[in-house]
Amino acid sequence: MAQPLVKKDDDRDDEVDYSPFLGIEKGAVLQEARVFNDPQLDPRRCSQVITKLLYLLNQGETFTKVEATEVFFAVTKLFQSRDMGLRRMVYVIIKELSPSADEVIIVTSSLMKDMTSKTDMYRANAIRVLCRITDGTLLTQIERYLKQAIVDKNPVVASAALVSGIHLLQTNPEIVKRWSNEVQEAVQSRAALVQFHALALLHQIRQNDRLAVNKLVSSLTRGSVRSPLAQCLLIRYTSQVIRESTNDTQTGDRPFYDFLEGCLRHKAEMVIFEAARAITELNGVTSRELTPAITVLQLFLSSSKPVLRFAAVRTLNKVAMSHPTAVTNCNIDMESLISDQNRSIATLAITTLLKTGNESSVDRLMKQITNFMSDIADEFKIVVVDAIRSLCLKFPLKHRSLMNFLSNILREEGGFEYKKAIVDSIVILIRDIPEAKESGLLHLCEFIEDCEFTYLSTQILHFLGIEGPKTSDPSKYIRYIYNRVHLENATVRAGAVSTLAKFGAMVDGLKPRIFVLLRRCLFDNDDEVRDRATLYLNTLGGDGAVVETDEGVKEFLFGSLDVPLVNLENSLKNYDPSEKAFDINSVPKDVKTQPLAEKKATSKKPTGLGAPPPGPPSTVDAYEKLLSSIPEFTSFGKLFKSSAPVELTEAETEYAVNVVKHIFDGHVVFQYNCTNTIPEQLLENVTVIVDASEAEEFAEVASKPLRQLPYDSPGQTFVAFEKPEGVSAVGKFSNMLRFIVKEVDPSTGEAEDDGVEDEYQLEDLELVAADYMLKVGVSNFRNAWESMGVDFERVDEYGLGPRDSLAEAVNAVINLLGMQPCEGTEVVPPNSRSHTCLLSGVYLGNVKVLVRLQFGLDGPKDVAMKLAVRSEDETVSDTIHEIVASG
Amino acid sequence: MILAVLFANSEGNILVERFNGVPAEERLHWRSFLVKLGADNLKGVKNEELLVASHKSVYIVYTVLGDVSVYVVGKDEYDELALAEVIFVITSAVKDVCGKLPTERLFLDKYGRICLTLDEIIWKIFFSSGLELMELLDGHCDILALIGYHCDLRSV
Repeated sequence: MAQPLVKKDDDRDDEVDYSPFLGIEKGAVLQEARVFNDPQLDPRRCSQVITKLLYLLNQGETFTKVEATEVFFAVTKLFQSRDMGLRRMVYVIIKELSPSADEVIIVTSSLMKDMTSKTDMYRANAIRVLCRITDGTLLTQIERYLKQAIVDKNPVVASAALVSGIHLLQTNPEIVKRWSNEVQEAVQSRAALVQFHALALLHQIRQNDRLAVNKLVSSLTRGSVRSPLAQCLLIRYTSQVIRESTNDTQTGDRPFYDFLEGCLRHKAEMVIFEAARAITELNGVTSRELTPAITVLQLFLSSSKPVLRFAAVRTLNKVAMSHPTAVTNCNIDMESLISDQNRSIATLAITTLLKTGNESSVDRLMKQITNFMSDIADEFKIVVVDAIRSLCLKFPLKHRSLMNFLSNILREEGGFEYKKAIVDSIVILIRDIPEAKESGLLHLCEFIEDCEFTYLSTQILHFLGIEGPKTSDPSKYIRYIYNRVHLENATVRAGAVSTLAKFGAMVDGLKPRIFVLLRRCLFDNDDEVRDRATLYLNTLGGDGAVVETDEGVKEFLFGSLDVPLVNLENSLKNYDPSEKAFDINSVPKDVKTQPLAEKKATSKKPTGLGAPPPGPPSTVDAYEKLLSSIPEFTSFGKLFKSSAPVELTEAETEYAVNVVKHIFDGHVVFQYNCTNTIPEQLLENVTVIVDASEAEEFAEVASKPLRQLPYDSPGQTFVAFEKPEGVSAVGKFSNMLRFIVKEVDPSTGEAEDDGVEDEYQLEDLELVAADYMLKVGVSNFRNAWESMGVDFERVDEYGLGPRDSLAEAVNAVINLLGMQPCEGTEVVPPNSRSHTCLLSGVYLGNVKVLVRLQFGLDGPKDVAMKLAVRSEDETVSDTIHEIVASG
Repeated sequence: MILAVLFANSEGNILVERFNGVPAEERLHWRSFLVKLGADNLKGVKNEELLVASHKSVYIVYTVLGDVSVYVVGKDEYDELALAEVIFVITSAVKDVCGKLPTERLFLDKYGRICLTLDEIIWKIFFSSGLELMELLDGHCDILALIGYHCDLRSV
């Protein structure tokens, strides 16, 4: 309850102390809702009850299914009343109760009647309610009215329809897309809001059609937009168009830049700001383009409105990352913002100054920051710490004062995240600036003497174990480490023992003394600490004499585990101690997909503050690691090339599958990345059945099924083929996804025990010559060409037939060969009649190949090409010609 | 998108809250964060003077209106300036319903009308790349005029 419980006293007419909702209770309000059923409706009373229901819902109260249904049915009776105020309340409460599909039907006819009512208010609200609660089938029935409403002369009705359209586009895009003409008309509306909503919807309808967006922007930037909000949208769309188009190379002018610049003189501040920000975010923005934007932002810095100051300093902060010099003009204004009452503004100002400042201003800034740090919250301090770390990396000579600053704030009060940020920064500085190493390590040592966070203590001890032994005088750290064994909890003690052992293993001279310390740890009251001490004493060897530690022992004790920790943990849990010794090689190396329950929990996250989920491995390294972890493929040798993923399903199908082609010398592995997009299904034993009858040289040798494919959690299945060694065999493969499908109960996330076998046809996959070519460029083509020599040069001429343009012919040949264009020769100047294109690559078997293509127009459209190939192997030169001849 | 709109009284008790796309477990955090933000900064602030804050990648614009403090939280397209627009529309609507700066009593007395007006002036619409932009939709003629007139932040 919002109010303290004060008895209402008639003598005291102090309105502040009395709430009309005093003592409100759900049960009682539900009882009261029975007035909705009265034959003689009292609109005032009914409105009051709805208000109470709304109040309860807004206070976080929830209704059970039965309660909600009961209220909903009662509310439907209120359509009998002709009271306008009550009707509006009814619209609100229906949306709040969000009735289920089978209940909706009760109100649809009433709402449809309201939708064609003469009262504007009814029309607008009924449209919004209907669109909120309806499904696709009903929508087709009311579509005609919605189209009319979009061009309704009352702006409220038009906006209601447009806004509903924006919602519906998510669920029924094909219907909304049919309204294009009406929406287009609404964009020209005189009402500012209608124009704004119409523009937003029109863009959404066309967003996948680049040309249409381009046309939309071109026509509107000529000046028919009156609403400032719509103008802001237009600026956003314009910058999107700019991003997707290329500069005019002749003049260096950017399309639409003049429009953006013009918006800087708009009368509305939000338009000015939007334009300034759009300019600062242009790709490869020049200082000439930046200047006017920076100037208006500078003016905003001294605005009396905190919102504008914040917006300006935030944008300048971003600009400072890429163009620090452009922002230096604003430094004086920014310095005055350090004392701004608003801490967000002050923090942004400080971090911007840290980015734009030069070496000489560092000390002065640090002084200002020290005063500032004491009165801001941890989250702001973390931002400052990050900025100081970047500054230190930029000016390594200033490491002394910056490191001192970090160590000072490390000693002050602060929460875990803040301390962690400081420690991380010091660690990075130690790694990147050799001169800062010793002082940094000592700062960390001092910190762990009085550190309340176990996590940080163990991290620092681990780091000391790596870096400490490499310093000039490792012995000075021992005291700090050994103190931990006396003063800390078991986790930190165990960490300290390991660190001591590392010093012993790495610094032979310290070994005898370390052994003395480790022996003392044998009497620790914690098992882990004792076990570690025993292990180290027994394996480091030499009985504490000054001898070198065996490399194998070092690797065993301190080397990295080559398996994911989760898998190791699972294997250890499943290990039965009564049988033979645990074998670390038995731990699977591949990373499992997340189980469904866990996935569900995280999938809610992104709406809040969560980080995006990690994408699939994309680089060759990641693929190599993945493939080498699969025992069936380890004998294939070194991976030569992995293609980009090729989609085998259309967008928005039940199962999304793409394939990556991995080429080995004598094998090809298809990696099928599968995603199940149906929440109610769990797929098991997923395989792809590949028919290679149109790929004669290939023989299937292995197939690795995917055990489980839960909803929205991508997984991989593999099929491997053998092919003649070193031969670039080509062919066509048809694919069929086969799996066992099990129903999943959406409420519990549990799958049924029984499943049904099913198949799903995928598109065909082709292996082409370009798959055997790696795109590897050369820095100087002429030198590379000359040094390759003419020994294996093959030259021939080809007619490419009629083509739309020379550029199209050039692209086709580049794609056919899959080689890297050099020196920008893939770009054909407009209207040219001839062109030379230079390509380089590495062919299967690691054979370097260079290609010189000379194109000429023969007649109006016919393209002729002269192809010269040089390579390290004459068969490869021939192969290139064969590819072109057959392509 | 707009993540939250929240009204609280001077003691930090919630009067109206609307969350949008914020998981239930994060709401408590937001509620207490916003109320604390107000307690720290809103003292002595003039009516309708806009304050701004950012927390991680999220922006907050807030103000005081009579006895009531109003917070609007947004992210992505809903940066501080868009939120300033939103909060302006909201405060105008509330003032319009109450007829003057609201006391807490007046606010609660007019609770139904306020809910109604809030529903009719704002609610989510999806905007480019699936983000939401305010639905400056209005059923209230006076407010419509206000929005049209003040769209350029002049009276913020």
